[in-house]
This record gives sequence, C-alpha cells and structure tokens, in this order.
Amino acid sequence: MSLPVEAQDELEQIITSIVDRYKAKPTALIMALQDIQKYYHYLPIEALKLIAKKMNLPVAQLFGVATFFKAFSLTPKGKHHMCVCTGTACHVRQAGVIVDNLSRSLGINPGETTPDGEISFETVNCIGACALGPVITVDDEYHGHMTVAKLNKVLDDLRGKKTAEEMVEEVQ
Amino acid sequence: MNNNKFTSPEDLNRLRERLVKQREEGRIIITVCAGTGCLACGCEAVTAAFREALKENQLEDKVEIRTTGCHGFCERGPLVVLRPEGTFYQRVKPADAKLIVEQTIKHGKLVNKLLYRDPQTKEVIVKEDDIPFYSKQMRLIFGMNGHMDPTSINDYIALGGYQALAKALLTMTPEQVIDEVKKSGLRGRGGGGYHAGKKWASCRRAKGEPKYVICNADEGDPGAFMDRSLLEGNPHGVIEGMVIGAFAIGSHDGYVYVRNEYPLAVKNLNIAVDAAREHGFLGDNIFGSSFNFDIDVSRGGGAFVCGESTALMASLEGKIGEPRAKYVHTVDAGLWDKPSNLNNVETWANVPLIIEKGADWYSRIGTASSKGTKVFALTGKINNTGLVEVPMGITLREIIFDIGGGPPKGKKFKAVQTGGPSGGTLVVETREPKVHESLVAHGDIRDEEEVVSLLDLPVDFDELTKVGSMMGSGGMIVMDQDSCMVDVAKYFLNFLQEESCGKCTPCREGLRITLEILTRISEGKGQMEDLDTLEEISQVMIDTCLCQLGGSAPNPVLSTIRYFRQEYLAHIVEKRCPAGVCKELVSHAIDETCTGCHVCFSVCPTNAIIGQTKTLHVIDQDACIQCGACYQLCRFDSIKRVKRGEGDAIQYVAKEKWHPPVKKKAAAVA
Amino acid sequence: MEKVSITIDGKPIEVEEGSYVLQAAEELGIKIPTLCYYEHMTPYAACRICSVEARDGKGWTKIVTACNYPAWDGLQIFTDTPRVITARKVNLEMLMSHCAPAPVLQELADELGVKEPRWGIGTDTCIMCGLCVRICDEVVGAHALTFSSRGIDREVSTPFKLESEDCILCGACARYCPTGHIRMTDTNGRILHSELTLGPNTAISIPFRQAIPNAPRIDPDYCIHMATGGCKLCSKVCPKECINYEDKDEFEELEIGAIIIATGFQDFDPTPMQQFGYGKYPNVLSSIEFEQMNNAASPTDGKILMENGEEPRSIAILHCIGSRDEDHHKYCSRVCCMYALKFAHLVKEKTNAEVYQLYIDMRTFGKGYEEFYQRILTEGVNVIRGKGGEIVPAPPEYSSEGNLLVRCEDTLIGKFREIPVDMVILCTALEARGDAEDIARKFNISTGADGWFIEAHPKLAPVSTTTEGVFLAGVCQGPKDIPDTVAQGTAAAAHSIRLLNMGEVLMDAAYAEIVEEFCSGCRICNGLCPYNAITFDEEKKVSEINSALCKACGTCVAACPTGAIKARHFTDDQIYAQIEGILA
Repeated sequence: MSLPVEAQDELEQIITSIVDRYKAKPTALIMALQDIQKYYHYLPIEALKLIAKKMNLPVAQLFGVATFFKAFSLTPKGKHHMCVCTGTACHVRQAGVIVDNLSRSLGINPGETTPDGEISFETVNCIGACALGPVITVDDEYHGHMTVAKLNKVLDDLRGKKTAEEMVEEVQ
Repeated sequence: MNNNKFTSPEDLNRLRERLVKQREEGRIIITVCAGTGCLACGCEAVTAAFREALKENQLEDKVEIRTTGCHGFCERGPLVVLRPEGTFYQRVKPADAKLIVEQTIKHGKLVNKLLYRDPQTKEVIVKEDDIPFYSKQMRLIFGMNGHMDPTSINDYIALGGYQALAKALLTMTPEQVIDEVKKSGLRGRGGGGYHAGKKWASCRRAKGEPKYVICNADEGDPGAFMDRSLLEGNPHGVIEGMVIGAFAIGSHDGYVYVRNEYPLAVKNLNIAVDAAREHGFLGDNIFGSSFNFDIDVSRGGGAFVCGESTALMASLEGKIGEPRAKYVHTVDAGLWDKPSNLNNVETWANVPLIIEKGADWYSRIGTASSKGTKVFALTGKINNTGLVEVPMGITLREIIFDIGGGPPKGKKFKAVQTGGPSGGTLVVETREPKVHESLVAHGDIRDEEEVVSLLDLPVDFDELTKVGSMMGSGGMIVMDQDSCMVDVAKYFLNFLQEESCGKCTPCREGLRITLEILTRISEGKGQMEDLDTLEEISQVMIDTCLCQLGGSAPNPVLSTIRYFRQEYLAHIVEKRCPAGVCKELVSHAIDETCTGCHVCFSVCPTNAIIGQTKTLHVIDQDACIQCGACYQLCRFDSIKRVKRGEGDAIQYVAKEKWHPPVKKKAAAVA
Repeated sequence: MEKVSITIDGKPIEVEEGSYVLQAAEELGIKIPTLCYYEHMTPYAACRICSVEARDGKGWTKIVTACNYPAWDGLQIFTDTPRVITARKVNLEMLMSHCAPAPVLQELADELGVKEPRWGIGTDTCIMCGLCVRICDEVVGAHALTFSSRGIDREVSTPFKLESEDCILCGACARYCPTGHIRMTDTNGRILHSELTLGPNTAISIPFRQAIPNAPRIDPDYCIHMATGGCKLCSKVCPKECINYEDKDEFEELEIGAIIIATGFQDFDPTPMQQFGYGKYPNVLSSIEFEQMNNAASPTDGKILMENGEEPRSIAILHCIGSRDEDHHKYCSRVCCMYALKFAHLVKEKTNAEVYQLYIDMRTFGKGYEEFYQRILTEGVNVIRGKGGEIVPAPPEYSSEGNLLVRCEDTLIGKFREIPVDMVILCTALEARGDAEDIARKFNISTGADGWFIEAHPKLAPVSTTTEGVFLAGVCQGPKDIPDTVAQGTAAAAHSIRLLNMGEVLMDAAYAEIVEEFCSGCRICNGLCPYNAITFDEEKKVSEINSALCKACGTCVAACPTGAIKARHFTDDQIYAQIEGILA
C-alpha cells in the first residue's frame, strides 16, 4: 500500500509539524500518534514509519505502541463514530442490551466499521458520564439514558442526516 | 502588563485583595456547572440562553455568568446556582434561563419547578447547602469547584490559591514540608494508600538526578471520574500541590499523565499550566526562591494498566504500557530509571490544603489510620449519581442512603462495589428468599449479622481491605436487586481481560480461564468444582501476578463468591439467574399487568411479540432472543424475566387473569 | 556492594546485596525452573515459573520471582513449599491451555507432575516468554520485533506483520526461541543444511580446525556488534576478557624467499542439478554436510540422523555429482569413490541402514584401496553400476522403506531401477576455487580450462610454476587425495627450503638492466613485463628490474622509448658486433 504523491506530501507536512510541536521528545510519542489519529481517523503505516524516522525510534516500538493502546487504529474508521460506554455504572444499567442491539442493527461487532464505511462502532470503558448511564456518544455528542427505542431513533437520525446531506449535494 | 510574574508573596496578596474586593461588589453570579456530566446534558446551551436572557433584560453588567467545574451532583444536571444566595436550580433547560432571569434575578421569586425536591420527604429545598446530597459531605478539595471558573487563574487566587505554595517555598525547608505531610497522615488516593510523606522522603533520599514528579491522571477505572472533575474544575489546585511536592523532593521536572478521553480536563489543565507559568508559579525562580520547576502535560493512550505506576512510566517513555518487573521502587528507579515520585490527582490536590491549614488540622479529619476526606464517584443503581467528598470513616450506609438517596424506583439495595474493577463487591442486604434445598445442605447460609454490619462499615483504606475490597481510586457502584453478581464478576473479569497487558502468565491466561469458567456458570453449564477452581486460580493470581492490577484482579470473583455464594449456586445447581440478567438462563414473559400499550411490539428486533393495541401481548418464546429491549422499555413492569423455559407458564396464567384496561372515563362515571 | 547472607531451602549463602535469588540458588545447586530467563538480559519475570516463597523469619511471607528478586540480609527463600508448587503448577497449566505443543512445557509438566492440564490444551506455539523481542532489543539492538496488541491478543510480531526493514537476519530470535515458534527460512524456500549439520552459523569461529594460531576470531560480516553496536555477549562470557572489537584486519608486508600456493578447492554446488532435489528435500545432503554430521562435535553428536531426528532406514550414495559430466566438469574428482566407500562403512558401523552405492566406474587406484572396496562388499553394501538419474519423493506404497525414490539405470543388469531410501548423499565434485583466476594473476601463473593452476611441467616440474620461487601444493593444482597432497606439499616445501638455504639466487647471466640516467619514468615497461619483474621506484622516479625474476625475454628492451633498458649480453653493440662477425 502506498499513498499517491500529493497525499505523501501532505503526510510529510503534517508529521513534520506534529513532531516539531513536541520537539521530537519520546515522552510525546503517544500524543503525536493521537494527533495523527485525529487527523486521519487512523494511523497509516507510512505515517508510523515517518514518525519513527523523525523521532529516531524503532518502527517496531511504534507498531507495538499503536496496537497496545485501544485508542489507535491501523485501519480506517467510518465517517460517523458511535461509542457505547460499557463502564460499570452503565453496565449495571443494562448497557449490554444497547451494545447487542446496536451490533445487530449495524450488522457489525464492536470495533468494526460498516461495509459502506459510514459508521464505526466501538465500546469504551467509561466516558465519565455515569449519571447519564447507559450513555452513547455519536460523533462526540452525548446521548444519555439510552434505551433500545432511543437507539433506533439515533440511528435513524444518523442515517437520515446522511441522506439529507447527500440530497443537498445532489441538488447542488 | 508584560510581566505578570510574581516575585514575592506580597504581590500575590495584593492581587488577591483586589480580586476579593471585586467579587464582593454585590453582583449576582449565575454559576453554571460545566463539568462533563452537565456538558453532556447540554449546559452550554443553557449558558448561551442565560447570556441571551441577560442581554434582553439589560442586566449584563449587573449579573455575571460563571461556568464552573463539576459540582458533583451530576444526576441533576445541568446545575445552576445563583450566588451569593446559593439558590439551587436543577435540570435547567435552555428555555428555563429566561424564566430564572426574569423571575428570580429581577423579582427575587423562586422558580418552583426547578427547585430540588427530596425524593423521600418530598420537601422542597432552595439552598444548595441544605440539600442532603451536599450537607452530609465535607467538601474540602471539591468545595472550590462550584465557585470558580477553572480557566481563570484569578478566580483561584481570589479563593486563596497559591498561598500554600508561597508558604512552603518561602517559610519552610523541604524537610519541613515532608514532615508536615507525614504528620498529616495523607495517604495516596490512587488506590494503594501508601503514605505520601514517606514516599516523598524516600524519593528525596534516593540517589540520582534528575528526579521526576508525576501526577497520575490516567483514571481508567470505569465508574470513577473524580480525578477528571478535579482537573476540569480546579487544575490549579493540582498544579500547586505538585510544585510543593517537587520542592520537597528536590525535583525540577514534572509530568501530568492524563487520559486523552478527557478532552476538557486536558484543555483546562493546559490553560492552567500556561497561566501558572505566566504568573511565575511554574518556571524558574518561583516566588524569587531560586526554586525551578515546570510541568509537561502528557496525554495517555487509554489503557487501564497505565494506572500502574511502572506501566505509566513506560508509556511516558513512549513504550508499550506494560509494567516493569521490579522489586525496586519507582522512587529509586522510575521514569528513565531515575527517582520518580508518582501520586494521583486527588493526592496532589490535598497537598496545598495541608500546607495552608497545617497537619494538625488535617489529621483531625478521618480515622486513626486514614486521614482527611475522600472523593467517591457514586454511580450505578442510585438516585443521586455524582461525586461526593466525605471524611474518612463515614459508613457506607451514610454514603449510599443519606447522600446517595438509595436505589431508584424503590428497588432493594443489594451490593456496592468499591475500588474499581479490581476491587470487591460488598454488602448484602437483600437475600434471595428462595434457597434450594441442596444449598442448605451445602452450608451456605451466612450469618445475618455479618451481612448487616458491612453496611455500617466505616470506609477507610484498611477496613475495606479487611473485607476483601479496596479503596481504589474511589469508584462506588451501587447495585440493586436487578443486578446479578455472577454477571457483575463476569463483567469485571471481561474488562480486566481486555485491559490486561498480557505480559505475565497468570494475568493473561488466568483471566481468560476465569472468564471462561464464569461464562460457563452464567450459561448454566457450571459445575460445583468450578467454585474451587476459581478460588485456586484466584489465589495463584494474587500470589504470582507481576503487577498490582493482576494481583487484585481476582477480587471481584473472590468477593462475590464470598458474599453471594448462594447466587453462584443458584446458577450452577438450579440453572437459574435470580436477578434475571444472565441471558442464557432467562426467558422473557408478559404477565397480566400488561396494558396493551403496544410499545414493546415496535422495539422487538425479531418480531417475537404478538399482540394488538389494548390486548394482552404475548412473547413467542421460540422467536425471543432475550435481547431485553422490551424489558427496558415497558413502563408497567409487565415484562418479567423468569427461569428459562418457564415463560409460557407465566403467559398462560396471564391469559387467564388478564382484563382489558378500564378506561379512565368509564371509571369516573362508575 | 555489600555482602548479605540469605538462606535458600535452609542452606546459607553469602551474596552481594541486590543480586538476584536465582543466581544464588544456582550457586547452591538448587534448581529453579525458568522459561523467560536468560542470564545476559534484564530479568523480564513474565512467565512466573520461577516463583519462590520469600520470608523474613518474622512472619512476613510473599511469593516472588527468583529471577529478579534482590537479596537482602536475613532473606529466607523456600523453593518447595506447597504454595510454591501450586503456583508453578497452576501457571504451567494455564500456559499449556494456551500452547501445549511446546516440548519445553512438556518437560516442565513432567518435572512438576502435571499429568493433564485442567483447562484444555492450546495449539499456539508461542509461550510469550519474550526472549526473541528482548534479545532483538536489548542484545542485538536491531529492534525488529515487538509485542503487538495486548492481553490475550498479545503476540510477537514484526512491524505491521510484514518483513521488517530493521531485521539484520542475525537469527538470534530463532536461536533463543524455546519452542520453535520462530524459525529461519531461506527466502527461496531452500533447506539450509548448515543448520542441520553444523548448528547455526556463528560470527565467532576458529577459521579451520588446524589453524595457527588456533584461536577464534570474529567475522565482521556476521558479527551483530559490528552491525548494530549491540550484543557484546562474547565479551560478557569470556572470563579472560580477551574479546577485542577494535581489532581490524591488517595488511603486512613481508620479505619472503619463496611462496607455496595451497589454496585448495571448493565444493561443487549441486543445487542447479534440480533432478537431485538438493535444497528441496531435507534429507538430500552433500558429501561435506554428511561428513560434518559424522563429526563427534556436530549438532547430532556424530550420529547419522534425518532432519526429523530419526535414524534413516536406507541411504543412497550417488557418485560423480558434477564430475565426469559433460555439462559440468569433465574430469574425475579422484577422491569421491574412496570417501563414498568410507561413508558406506561409517553408515554400516553406526546404523542398521541399507546402503546403496551408485557409481559410474569404481576407481580404487591407491595402495590398499582395492582391498577396502572388497571389504565394503563383504559388509553388505549394495553397489550398483549406474549413475543416479533423479530423486523424487517416494509414493505412499514405498513408505515402509523410504521417503525418497532414487531412479537409476543398473548398467550391469541393464534395467531401470527405483530404489526407496530415507537419505541421499551426493558425492559432489571438487572444483577450482572461484577466486583462482585472481590468485593466478597475482602470482603471474596460469590456470587450465578447469581453473586448476598449471605447473611448470607436468612430468618434470609438477610442483614449480612458471614464476620463479612460486610453488604449488595440493588440490589447487588438480584433484588429489590426502597422501598425494601431502607428497606434493612436502616437495614444495623442499623446493622452498632449497631456495631459502642458499640465501642467494643463482641467476642467469642474461637479464635486463635499466640505466637510471636514461629512464624517463614513463612506466611503459612496467605493464609489459610478463614476469612482473619491473617495479617503479617512487622516490627515484625511475623503473627498476628485479634481476632474479627477469627471464631476459627482451620485451622491455624493445619497448623502452629512451633506450634506457639494456639486455645483458644482448646489448645493441654486442648484437651489431655479432652481425658484423657473421657478415665478415
């Protein structure tokens, strides 16, 4: 897998700026990876190799770190990101039911992305909004006191939003 | 002003006096809680609505809006408190802002529907301080949260901030600071409960330069969010504590390792660090004392194991966050193998308090072995979810019932889980009345007295350890009759398995095997030997795991077996889940209380629910996949979870007994 | 470091404070099992198999890992309490439930009395000891491996699970992997027999067995330290601190009176002869590999074993691989028949295997050779006249006799035969070294069409070369066996001694001379001299002729543009005088 030239240039630029920001300190490795993940929604192999070169760290170490921490993904994520909190407080308030139902509705397991690349769904251990449990986030927007019925509505909205946008695009 | 740096405590005092005066000018202040809990409830829109309402009423220069850190009472968010009166409004919607401005601020009238009503006594309470949730607490380190904008260093200074730093740096020697902390009896709030003063002293003694001071804000415990709220709401308190600690230890480099999942905490902390640097509380020559110290904020990658000190340091070094096998303490060889002193957020936040008010004052709070207050995150099946700060030694009963208001909907309290995933589940109060005969023979009925006494257990480090749990970072998850203890144990083990770094055998393989056995039990395929096996594996894990995470991982299993053995036996012998949680052991059935509202019908993913509006609904037992969607939705508790295979029997009886709901109109006529 | 006294299982020992319990136990001869420990790396303490119980004698007790628990004064260690045994057993059972096939776990299970692991038997082969990752990081310093993912998904991996760009192919990971989870493979899928017969290649070796000085040396091409700056294991284990990484190859100039070239031969590589399946079937060996296997110090301890560790049931020895072959070497390698017979004898002595000799002609020309051949025949060796044609995997119906099938023509009975065997030895040709041409050029001698050095005269001067003072000895001159080699070597030595003893060289009266005053330093003559007798003196800026090397051919004389070179006894004046004499 190799990126087209323009993408390669962009990558080079982004990574240079990120590495410069943290002055290539190894303590900032995880932060640098987070910034890349934030930009690309995943960690492209080229990015890891480039970071390794610029920060003078072994690629193997970066690969280890990138697979160790759950926040990182080496495969591209979907356009929308759904996150079900499965912290203890949410668990005792039946977050499991939400996970099962979402999994069934989307037809994917937690940690996967729908085949059309629209929605990624994962579980997270406590987002600290325990009072709202069970809680899910959709593209960083909180939805508290979830039930299956509410979940279906959220999903409809998400899909609806998508079609609306597409319609606008089509019109334009 | 180009140079904001304070070079003497006099400068600081002058600014403080000016700020206090400003604050006392009699302006009304609307404080809107902007902790993550309230943010999730939409407090930003509320703030905007207030701004709008003030503008409309031309009150902008008379009334100040202050967005503060977390007040703790997340259950009732978004929270709005009007100061200086302390009028407390809860669950405020953007639309209510206008009402509050027009009624309360303009005319001094209360908005009744937004006031707090005690769920038990039904009494309406106006003032924040009078609400039982707050009145029973002792908010030493959390108190400031509700009074200041976390992004404003001036607010912190006005409330007496950085006075302790000035005192420590200019009037005390590092040894005196350590002695003071030692005398206060402050113990690490991160879980271990190690005496902070002792740790500092050994780090100061340790050979090697440079020395590091680290703040552990990698709060990975699900159900604990006090560190986040502290960093969000009062970052300067933590910074001040760290500077004092660094001064005592002789360190010039500090790190805060904070979860990336806490964006607001990261943001506020960074703002605070920059402000502190600008004002000369960080950097070179702090307060003209020739002491230098600076802090780097490092965002963690999100791994529970990184709460373990050596794993956190490995991660800080940019490596895989696995714990190091060391019988040498991190105070001697930690980050980059240099002496490192790691404490968690709450511990650091306690330090300024101790220095300012003195060890004698501090050590009067709490129990003989545990001093000061502790913040708990009270969550789960409880009315008043939120953060509570209580003195050590308070009983569980006081926390759960007096402050927390007990489980919601009048359900029976069953257990409380403390100490995060590796803590223990404690306290039985309700017991399954039905005990299988075979269980009686097994000698499994516990002494009722022991059971009750646990609720009156004074909460401190040692007492919790004694009964098989731990303080941990202070998560407190309440469970009611609907929680299955096997499922809870399974949940924690699953969590721990996912979070295990996989380095040492007992943790990696032991958790997997334990989870396999628990899963088997929850599916009704358990054997009696399984309990012994679980206990054997647990003991080996406690003995041989490399780090504390693994060593305490069996706690959820051991404590649930210890206190809820009969529930395990119900799963194993009777193939029954008393709480109706374990999917493989339950059937869903609709009983005669069904109103025919038809809500469940639409939500069923497999179309297993048969029925029309205003008729009794029936669940097709063959088609039902026990997803629980209908159970969650039914407002009449008509959907029951019964032992697997008994669903049809219930529904058969229901068919006999069911009557169409009587129309209200008709009833009135009758 | 201070000394502290500790006890292990009641036995007292004094050790340095902070040194690890495992080492103390080793000193006391108390065995503590380990899986992830390697003495030259920081203890990792991941397997927890070395668990022991630590006590302070005052009631405190804790299970600790011996590999990294530091000793302190008064420490009491117990290695066999029930708690320790349970800890080890349960941990082992847990490991086996993940990866049972590893023999190292089986051994441990036998030792600890684990008969049937309670939680099933896993199929993985990696026990997560991390030796590979750590050796690559800590010792080798290549950082080509890492642990990826976490928890039960943890595995050893190269970055992105692709071929690592940082790997230096040192093989340390495979060498230290206790379970065989990591293996070295040839990228072309070839079987590397050196692993089988010689053990892994090491960068430190004594160049050859009778080398003088008989001391090991570091091969910089293979040394990990030279590649990455890491490793240095050899200096850690050398008790005399003899390792010197700074030592470099040095060029020395020696004044010598005679040179004997004895550069030997190289083995013919049978890989291109695909019909024999060398490098494809693991049990097809070359003769030198088989010879090495028979060495008592080989990885098989001198036993004749197949790759799977079993004794072969039958062996075929194929003569003339690359020799007497129109496509490769037309000559006879002379030594193969005899060593092939020796192999047959060895096989018969060491195993019960059936032996087949496939030859074109049996050449037993030396003293006592024919008698040895007759003796082999009486030992029951099957001798078939006919060259081996092809080696293929044996079809299932032959599985009771052999795994390979040798196809050949038995020319004595005039039939094609298919012989099932377990192992095949290819008697490869001796061939001239690849660098023979270079050597020839250096010494100004010549090579024949096969690459062997040509002697001055095949009958009258079999040791000398066309260059005075340069002699040949051994196979570099042509295939020969040991006695012949020794004889030729001795002759070369005698020639050399004669030269050295004289102290001076008796020269022909006729040779060329350069008159320095006339030499322009153009160096035209330097390259022209067929005997390399002319060198250039950098100081004087003139060419010089080594009169001992000059054969008075006159080439330089004719070529010199300034007429500075004169051939003694053939000067222009002398020649003119002679011409005059004739014409007079």
